[in-house]
Amino acid sequence: MSIHTLALALALTAMAGTAFAQSAPPTLRVELAADPANPAAPKMGDRLLFHSTIRNTGATPAPGVLAWVGLVQVDPGQEQPVDLEDWSAHKAITVKLVAPGESVTTDWPMRLIAAGHYRVVVTAASGEAALTPSPFVDLAIRQKPVVESNRVLPVALGVPALLLGGLLLRRRHTGGST
Amino acid sequence: MNAVGLLARKEAGELLLSSRGLGWLLAVSVVLSGFGLLLIGSQELSLLDNAQVVYDMLGIVTGLGALLAVAAGADAIAGERERGSLLPLLLAPIPRGGLLLGKIAGQAAAWAVMLVLAMPYLWAVGSTGQNMIGGGIALVLLGTPVALGFGFLALGLGARLGSSRGTLMPCLILLLLSASPLLLGPSLRQSAIGVAFDTVNPFSAALNAYDAVVIDGQGAASQVWHGLVALIWLAGTAAFAGVGIHRLRH
Amino acid sequence: MTPLAIKNLGLALGGEPVLRDVSLTVGAGEIVGLLGPNGAGKTTTMLAAVGLLPRTAGDIAVFGQDPWEHGTGLRRRIGVLPDPNGFYDWMTARDYLTFFAGLYDADLDAASVTRRLDAVGLSPPARQPIGAFSRGMRQRLGLARALIADPLLLVLDEPTNGLDPRGRREIHDLLAERAHAGVGVLLCTHILDDVERLCTHASFIAGGRTVAAGRVDDLVRTHAAQPRFRLELSGPVPPAAPAPADVRVIAHDQGWAVVDLDPAVTPDAAWRELLFLGWPITAIAHEGGGLEDVYLSVVQSGPPPAGAHTTNARSTAPQTGRAA
Repeated sequence: MSIHTLALALALTAMAGTAFAQSAPPTLRVELAADPANPAAPKMGDRLLFHSTIRNTGATPAPGVLAWVGLVQVDPGQEQPVDLEDWSAHKAITVKLVAPGESVTTDWPMRLIAAGHYRVVVTAASGEAALTPSPFVDLAIRQKPVVESNRVLPVALGVPALLLGGLLLRRRHTGGST
Repeated sequence: MNAVGLLARKEAGELLLSSRGLGWLLAVSVVLSGFGLLLIGSQELSLLDNAQVVYDMLGIVTGLGALLAVAAGADAIAGERERGSLLPLLLAPIPRGGLLLGKIAGQAAAWAVMLVLAMPYLWAVGSTGQNMIGGGIALVLLGTPVALGFGFLALGLGARLGSSRGTLMPCLILLLLSASPLLLGPSLRQSAIGVAFDTVNPFSAALNAYDAVVIDGQGAASQVWHGLVALIWLAGTAAFAGVGIHRLRH
Repeated sequence: MTPLAIKNLGLALGGEPVLRDVSLTVGAGEIVGLLGPNGAGKTTTMLAAVGLLPRTAGDIAVFGQDPWEHGTGLRRRIGVLPDPNGFYDWMTARDYLTFFAGLYDADLDAASVTRRLDAVGLSPPARQPIGAFSRGMRQRLGLARALIADPLLLVLDEPTNGLDPRGRREIHDLLAERAHAGVGVLLCTHILDDVERLCTHASFIAGGRTVAAGRVDDLVRTHAAQPRFRLELSGPVPPAAPAPADVRVIAHDQGWAVVDLDPAVTPDAAWRELLFLGWPITAIAHEGGGLEDVYLSVVQSGPPPAGAHTTNARSTAPQTGRAA
């Protein structure tokens, strides 16, 4: 979701919040779990799936609910939020209305880009409800060499050598003229 | 073989079998090899996501293909005119449309050879990851109209300017501008100007399609808009070249 | 049908008039020389004749058709040797001819290609690329290309450029043979000797206009400056034998004399008169004159005044070219 969509959603949420200002604020609860089929020891390049459930535990409807996935790296000395640009195309959802007692389940696919220790979190918010994060799901991603040198070396050296051979052969064939 | 086929074979032969053509292919392979060797030689690059590597490789191949098309297109009309070999062609009983088709078909053959040349590299850097086949298909479907469009552009400009150097300069500047998303970070591309530029830029269309197919794992069917942008680019430049060749006097 | 007829051709390039009034005709079996100073419009005329440049005035008919409208079809019947004449240097001569034969729908087998190369006196090593050819070899190859589809009209721009005397003679023979077979040839050249040896007709253009055209003999007779001759004498001119009024003695000595003849008198009549007066003439040689004089005369004097006609308006009747 782009920044513009996010801003629009927040604005809508704010407008909706004004409409419901007279009622008690809705209460959201967010659960997050890794898919049981996820590899036990994931490595770079693996695809993982996470499931979130957003439940309106309050007595009033929650309009304009926005939920987004976040990822933070927690390796000592490298603590930082991660730009999900390459990790996932599914970064946020909006739900027009979550009725009291209703829940919304969402799947969050993620491709593992870099090795390290991470924490995944899904956060929900609306104009009325408070910012509600899910519990963290911890993730340890093993490093995997992306490119195998035993594949790259023969190609990287062999193809130019073949072409060079062809070029020299051609020059000999034509007596050095172009 | 008809005149268009003969011309195409001649053009492809000149691009691929001459020392100059082989030299060009050698240069392409050196660039791709350099990228491959960087991937295994640099610790930082070696940790790049596999899909990212494939995406980068596809972008590089498309850029090199467009560069080849510009160089070949500038030479095909303006260069031949400067060397005096265009006039005998114009004096042959070939319709101008056939001349253009033959010229671009030769470039298409050269592009096809470049694609074949790129395949071992894609295999070498991408076979341990995912979506390599999808990326290859996206390269053929999106890279081809982008590269050949630049070929048409250079042909059309060469027919108007009559100078290969004069043709090369604006084409290379446009190519550099068009391929700038290869170098720009996502944040710059997400600015208002960046988004507008991405929307109409055929090179961006190809890169975004590679991104969607290789990195995001989306299906080819979702890339209709990107394909359309590339096809509009191809059709527009083909029309530009067609008018230029038709008006070509001698 | 007449291979090429150009009438009152006008043509502009980039808005600037280049040709103003050019007329010429090439009949079947004729070799017509197109002459003029640099920038006169010879090449432009040739390009317009083969349909590569649009005219702004006048008419061009190649085998009765407008080459601008029907260029693609007509070019199958026209062989052109342009100047400058570029090649694909990476090809061999055989590959090059085979390629162009295909473009002209003339499928040639290896033996035919060899014959074509032999016809222009070219027999390079099989694998030698054109890039390694001498200028003369390239000129011969260009001629072979022009002849590839057995055209009925040949348009040749400086065909003997870069050829040695033997090569020139071979090309002369080839063109004469083609003309004898009924091919019309338009020969654009600066080498007046080529025109004198080959052409039945010549057309001079200057400043984008035809300034003289006709049979070469007639042009020489009409436009050449006062004819000048060197007479070899067996002894001194008798003191009592002055030259007649139509013979002007420019210089003389014991064994020779240089004389100018009045254009009104024929040389034969002048020699008879001198012999009658006792001149001991043993040999007569023409000095100067010919097409060179015509060239200098018509090019320097410029185009004829408006409304005037060029002299010796030529016939379009087929003539056989006269070869050296």
